[in-house]
Amino acid sequence: MVDSYLKQRSAKDWKKSEKHGAGEWLAERWTSVALFFLTLWAAWSAFGLANQGYEAALAFVKVPLNAGLLAATFVITMWHTYMGLNANVLDYFPNSRVLRLLNLLFCVAVLAVALGGIYLAFKA
Amino acid sequence: MSKPPSTEAAYRPLSPHLQVWKFHITMFTSILHRATGIASVVGAVMVAAWLLAIGLTASGHCPEAYTLFLSFAASPFGLFVWFGLTLAGFIHLTGGLRHLIWDMGLGFKISSANALAWWSLLGGIALTLAFWAVLFATGKVVL
Repeated sequence: MVDSYLKQRSAKDWKKSEKHGAGEWLAERWTSVALFFLTLWAAWSAFGLANQGYEAALAFVKVPLNAGLLAATFVITMWHTYMGLNANVLDYFPNSRVLRLLNLLFCVAVLAVALGGIYLAFKA
Repeated sequence: MSKPPSTEAAYRPLSPHLQVWKFHITMFTSILHRATGIASVVGAVMVAAWLLAIGLTASGHCPEAYTLFLSFAASPFGLFVWFGLTLAGFIHLTGGLRHLIWDMGLGFKISSANALAWWSLLGGIALTLAFWAVLFATGKVVL
């Protein structure tokens, strides 16, 4: 029964997925590759800043390269998070638009908090 | 599925099925990859809160923000949470590497897939333990 649905669908949609449809799959991979390096940099930086106090943390964020890398890390992290959490929503609650919307709002909110913090620290 | 699927989402397989698997390492690391990914979201929230605390303190909007952040982040419970987050993060990192290797079409032989699963799991645990061992050894973290 399921097979016949798949055949109907692929016969109808084949031309579409031939041109696109790999976009999200590729985005998952490229964000993974970027985050592999960015999170290792973040772990290394966290090691350096551990127990060094507020002034050291502020000085770290005020370095333009660090601020830029932090911002990039958060943009890519929340994009990756959005796709990952959406995979969970689609697997366990396939028809819930509400959860997909909440996921988007959550990821945008965390990104806004991080970028806002970087901006305030960098400007101060 | 009891009724015929009518939306695009209904064609997706429900995975990973937590109930139907007989234990094997690739099934375990697959489920773990999802679990550690979800756990790492907490890490992103914590680091975002750290950045906001620095920003609010530096800008003068809320001078106590950083102290408030540290009262959680540097507490024994906070350290326990950080340890859990680094464990989840490192296992997700090495697990992601495993997935990228598979995505290149490599390591699909059952013995290779099993070995990759073990190495990524043990590698993630080893990185976490090394990270904290050095933190303690250099006196950056004291209990």
